[in-house]
Amino acid sequence: MQLLKILFGIFIASWFLVHTPNISQAGALLQDLENALMCKCDDKCGKVLINCTCSTSDKTRAKLSKMLESGLTIEQIIKSQVDKYGETVLSAPTKFGFNLTAWVMPFVALIAGGVGVRKIINSWVGKKEELDSQDETQEKSTPGKYSKRLQDELDGIEL
Amino acid sequence: MNDIGEFTLLVALATAIYGCVAYIMAARGNRIDLYLSADKTPVIVWGCVVISSICLWRAFLTNDFSLQYVWAYSNIELDTFYKFASFWGGQKGSLLFWTLLLTTYTVVVHFQNRKKNLRVVPYAMAVLLTIIIFFLFLINFSTNPFERIPLPPEDGRGLNPLLQNYWMVIHPPTLYLGYVGFTVPFAFAVAALLSKNLDDGWIRLTRKWTLISWFFLCMGNLFGASWAYVELGWGGYWAWDPVENAAFMPLLVATAFLHSVMIQEKKDMMKVWNMSLVLLTFVMTIFGTFITRSGLIQSVHTFDEATLGYYFLAFLFVILFACTALIVARLPLLKSDNQLDSFLSRESSFLFNNLLLLGIAFATFWGTIFPIISEAVRGIKITVGPPFYNQVNVPIGLALLALIGIGPVIAWRRATFSNLKKNFFKPLAAAFIAAVAMLPVIPLGSRVENYTYLTFILCVFVLACILIEFYKGTASRMGLHEESILGALTTITWRNKRQYGGYIVHIGVVLIFAGIAGSQAYGTHIEKHLKTGETFKIRGYDITYEKLVAVEATSVKTRVIAQLQVERNGSHYWTARPEKEFYKGQNQPVSEVDVLSTWKEDLYMILADFREDESATIKVYVNPMVSWMWTGGWIIAFGTMISMWPDRLEQRRRLNRFRKEEALFPSPAQE
Repeated sequence: MQLLKILFGIFIASWFLVHTPNISQAGALLQDLENALMCKCDDKCGKVLINCTCSTSDKTRAKLSKMLESGLTIEQIIKSQVDKYGETVLSAPTKFGFNLTAWVMPFVALIAGGVGVRKIINSWVGKKEELDSQDETQEKSTPGKYSKRLQDELDGIEL
Repeated sequence: MNDIGEFTLLVALATAIYGCVAYIMAARGNRIDLYLSADKTPVIVWGCVVISSICLWRAFLTNDFSLQYVWAYSNIELDTFYKFASFWGGQKGSLLFWTLLLTTYTVVVHFQNRKKNLRVVPYAMAVLLTIIIFFLFLINFSTNPFERIPLPPEDGRGLNPLLQNYWMVIHPPTLYLGYVGFTVPFAFAVAALLSKNLDDGWIRLTRKWTLISWFFLCMGNLFGASWAYVELGWGGYWAWDPVENAAFMPLLVATAFLHSVMIQEKKDMMKVWNMSLVLLTFVMTIFGTFITRSGLIQSVHTFDEATLGYYFLAFLFVILFACTALIVARLPLLKSDNQLDSFLSRESSFLFNNLLLLGIAFATFWGTIFPIISEAVRGIKITVGPPFYNQVNVPIGLALLALIGIGPVIAWRRATFSNLKKNFFKPLAAAFIAAVAMLPVIPLGSRVENYTYLTFILCVFVLACILIEFYKGTASRMGLHEESILGALTTITWRNKRQYGGYIVHIGVVLIFAGIAGSQAYGTHIEKHLKTGETFKIRGYDITYEKLVAVEATSVKTRVIAQLQVERNGSHYWTARPEKEFYKGQNQPVSEVDVLSTWKEDLYMILADFREDESATIKVYVNPMVSWMWTGGWIIAFGTMISMWPDRLEQRRRLNRFRKEEALFPSPAQE
């Protein structure tokens, strides 16, 4: 175990030595935008812009690219798209207000479930321990019943 | 023939109603005469639905456009292959296909249990027939595939070009086989509740059905991903579309059931839980059908004429209410003596595995319905797309991956510290070595990259856990019986089919996790507008655009093909031919991608656009490790086959049990 701890320490140290966070490039910014927005074509394809192959999506990409080149930030571009199309243009709910429930709820459910499972397991383990201790008490109340019989039988064996 | 098809559907409905009532009365009133009479109905219903289906297939194959459904989903030029598959191309036919599969399963159940399990089977048959009645009612009175057109047109509208892919013949039937299959365990669970036979009998009876349905659902999901990958032309395979989610959720719940059921079989615990899981799995299959057919949630899979939402919603509520009431009513009988020796045990790990699987299912469900909730609460409809599911489900999925390794290795009943150390030291050491070895070569920094790194480490850990189990079994067999490695490996697998089949399935799952992680994190793409003879580079590939060719494939289909030469390290590597297909009467052309798949990465080419001067816009994706997912799928198939393979010893035990039951409860025929 000691060896594992040392190795783990070396690993963590080497992680920090080898890696520094990446800086986003211009292409990555467009990709982030394409991930954050839905395609708003006439066919209502329901696809995220990055996954869409229709002609509208190509035009939208070109438009977003120009907006980025003009110096607008991702947040500003997204806001302009929301103003134009409404919240449906976002590929995921925002992380404030009522929409926050979308993000929080799965983890709340999971944590509640985890606490529940832990409690259930503990109660089942407790029940088993209780039964085991009852059995032990019973055994103690009839001490030597079997050991006496065993001893008698062993004594009876002639070698 | 169309009249026959329509008439047999009515006969099927009438017979199913009679059969259902007769089975219930026979079971409740011990009426042998009614039981013997009801005994024939599953076969009659099945026969009628088969005749009706043959009539519809005939209409497709003979271009009978007097049927509205055939007109809407076929035309004269359509390949026979796709005419056959057009049967399930629209809502009406897909419901008939669903009914065909359900009646076929019902007949198989009927013949399997004809002279056995007589306390449960009549109720199970009644439940199966009730569900058949629901579908037959819809087909007969709401969405009849034999609806006529007064003046039949000369040609049909044709099948959606996106559906004209060989996966159309494979993916929907596979998925339906899974969806429909879960009706059988559900029927037996309800029958057990109704008949108060609440031991693990219904689990033993339906184990194979659950496994088969799980297998088909799993394969259906993978085939769907594969279809999306080659047909939709965006370089991906899973878009977290509501209908994809609808197929994924029952798979998760069913997986939880497959694991927790082992605890009931081994320790007679968790009866209420298992009962709830099997009911929830069925409810999820109906929920999926509701999504596809309601038009309530926007999806690329929704049928054009999605009008059956209210029927399915009502059916869903009836099932939920009836099943909950039944479970509550039978709670005293479902009580089991739940005891665990220790928190650290395989039983506990299975419970946490259930929690995580249901956690992912719940997150997926929540994301799917959240647009409706938002609209109801705020009056604003929002979109819940891939970024949400990836952010929420990936961490839970990683915890699940870790448990795939821990679960099979941790001891049943009680795991001690020394036992844990013994079992987990080597897998942990392997994971550590992998972590250090990957550190200099794997890019890290972004959340996706960090998750991917963690996924790979966990994959190594899980694989090590499983392979060590195989090694231990093989080595001990070799030592005892002096067998060769291959002989010992085959013997241990063959003698413990469930256990080792399960391990093989887990290996497949690990490969899928690795494939998803690799392709999501390290993929790249480029889009170039090129004139003939121009070359560009991507990840060491030199790609030259050679020419553009237009081909009149049929009178309704024109193919425009771009030819590209791919070189690697200066030598010829591949000739790619992505294309666009234009169908008469369709607004959007369909992209037919060209993919070169290797174990390392896929080179994926799309002809995005072209101009009259023969210049073309080409999109190229380099998707690493995608083939790992498909390989994982085949390994899962192989492992499931081993798990399901009939066990002679188990068969002998079951035969003895049936003989004893037969002696106690003679069949009506004998009476």
